[in-house]
Amino acid sequence: MKLRLIQISFAVAVASHGLAQADDTNSQTGPLGKVSFPTSCDSKVQPAFERAVAMLHSFWYSAGEKAFREVLKDDPQCAIAAWGIASILMSNPLAGQGASPKGAEQAQAAIDEGRRVGAKTERERDYIEAVAAYYKDFATRPEKERQSSRAKAYEALAQKYPTDDEAQILFALYLAGTQTQADQTYAAYLRAAAILEDEFRKYPDHPGVAHYLIHSYDAPPIADKGLAAARKYAGIAPAAPHALHMPSHIFTRVGAWEESAATNARSMEVAKAGSEPDEAYHAADYMVYADLQLARDAEARRVIDEAMNVKGSSSRFVAPYAMAAMPARYAMERGAWQEAANLQPLGSSYPFVEAITYFARGLGSARSGDLVAARKDAEQLESFHNTLLAAKNSYWATEIEIQQLALAGWIALGEGKSVEALKFMRAAADLEDHSEKHIVTPGRIAPARELLGEMLLELKQPDAALKEFEASQQREPNRFRNYLGSARAAEMAGDRAKAAAYYQKLLALAKNADTARPELVSAKKLASR
Amino acid sequence: MSWLAQLISAGLLCATIATFPPIATADAVDEDPDLAKRDEDYAAGNGAVERKDWSQAVRLFQRAEVRNPDNADLQNVLGYCYRNLKQYDLAFTHYKRAIQLDPRHRGAHEYIGEAYLLTADLANAEKHLAALRDICVLPCEELKDLERAVAEYRARKK
Repeated sequence: MKLRLIQISFAVAVASHGLAQADDTNSQTGPLGKVSFPTSCDSKVQPAFERAVAMLHSFWYSAGEKAFREVLKDDPQCAIAAWGIASILMSNPLAGQGASPKGAEQAQAAIDEGRRVGAKTERERDYIEAVAAYYKDFATRPEKERQSSRAKAYEALAQKYPTDDEAQILFALYLAGTQTQADQTYAAYLRAAAILEDEFRKYPDHPGVAHYLIHSYDAPPIADKGLAAARKYAGIAPAAPHALHMPSHIFTRVGAWEESAATNARSMEVAKAGSEPDEAYHAADYMVYADLQLARDAEARRVIDEAMNVKGSSSRFVAPYAMAAMPARYAMERGAWQEAANLQPLGSSYPFVEAITYFARGLGSARSGDLVAARKDAEQLESFHNTLLAAKNSYWATEIEIQQLALAGWIALGEGKSVEALKFMRAAADLEDHSEKHIVTPGRIAPARELLGEMLLELKQPDAALKEFEASQQREPNRFRNYLGSARAAEMAGDRAKAAAYYQKLLALAKNADTARPELVSAKKLASR
Repeated sequence: MSWLAQLISAGLLCATIATFPPIATADAVDEDPDLAKRDEDYAAGNGAVERKDWSQAVRLFQRAEVRNPDNADLQNVLGYCYRNLKQYDLAFTHYKRAIQLDPRHRGAHEYIGEAYLLTADLANAEKHLAALRDICVLPCEELKDLERAVAEYRARKK
């Protein structure tokens, strides 16, 4: 009965507050979408509080933390603002990295202060305790366990307050945060998506709902379900750099490169203007990936140069990843093997970031005939792999193992050992198929199954090559190198109609190319045959 | 490679790494990088393994298991302790659990294979040898060690 009374009183509070909160536009930071989060705080700070929640929903952490602290300054009794600060400091709940030790200390201090002040409603106190579940015993628990505690705490919150949409939305987010790359049933994602689809029907302009739907569909077989949210989100919160970037997670999955490049260009611009260097790098990497699929090589080069001049990135892995990935992609996607062979490592502290360069460089060396250099890079990859195995970082260890296998394959091919080459390359492709890419990246530096197709082409096995290229399209659709390989394989196999169809797809993809790639010149001739 | 040798080589690796800029391995989707640091019983259990005090190691690891029920390494080392206590059924239970949690756990495949040889079950040892051949397309110590153990077993039986 007590719970029922609480629910009714909460429903009354929501009703009196108005579910359709006024558009959260602010002259200082611009539109962030519509959020309704009733509180017992001074009504003067309520709009600022909801604006801070909107920032939280768009992962605009630097601005959001400031905003919550401002709320607390203006209303020191607004204990729920402490929940906001602690929520912000957990950082991206889908990246697997979690709060930094310093952030966790600050969050715990905020939670302690929130408890000391004491929120006026049980619901607000429950929110504070839900986020506290993540930070409990922070130093002695791994991130995976913290994520699980957080999801359980928010599930309990959502069940206790079934009419509280914010509780449902946040539960869905933290549930999605428990999805592992190894689970290809996408159970957590799909359960989260089911909650969010209901909320999306009710609140099409809520920044968190659209945002978390994109994350919940960020996997190859389900990505197309996220297109509606992807096409909506950037318009909901165009002031937030992450909101401008996020749609490209879906656009990348479905091969909508023009849309991906456009939204990331806006994201990068807003991130730079708002001094969000990590976001700028992340957007730049996705943009470069998209531009290279469209054969807009000059634009990709320009974006890389612009990004590399962005200063002040954090110590997290987002920016170093992009710094290593962009030049590697630029060489690999163009088949510029000698250029790839000359890549230089960043010297970052992340083995999986360094591995990008060694993999691309090794592959570049192997494919341009320098097997001695390729073997050296293979040794370095092995060292990174061992480091990550010893550190029990199995996800990135496996990602490097895929790179090791692929590189071993191309080295073996260079040595004339075709059977061994195919064994390694096929093992790389099979291993990659059983794990999802990390959200930090738009895609692996080179899809392993596509590389297998290229190897089979070199070995004059066009039927087998075409089969691998077409299989690769299922997980990595609408890629330039895939269509090129598919067309060449079909042509070599004597299937002129299929070859022409793939060349036409290639030309359609590159219709706004800014660079005359030699492949396109021959594609034009062959497409019309 | 023996479990102790793996520990030593991991230690050497850490010492090598320490001479370079700090390596950030514990970020992004780490499974459980610091179990030995954060769980006193697990750390003490490792100490007991080094002293070959298998019964004490089992007691300590079982306490750690209550807090870490899904840790493949912990299951693997529990299997190792039971193997040394010649309680093979329990050893197999824990090795199988380790492999269930992490189907590509090289150490668990090697050790369960060796445990099967100790119980004269060559067929099952060879199943794990085959699994390791699939996992270690690139050479790995665990595969070499189990291949050697199987070859020695076969030679003894001739």
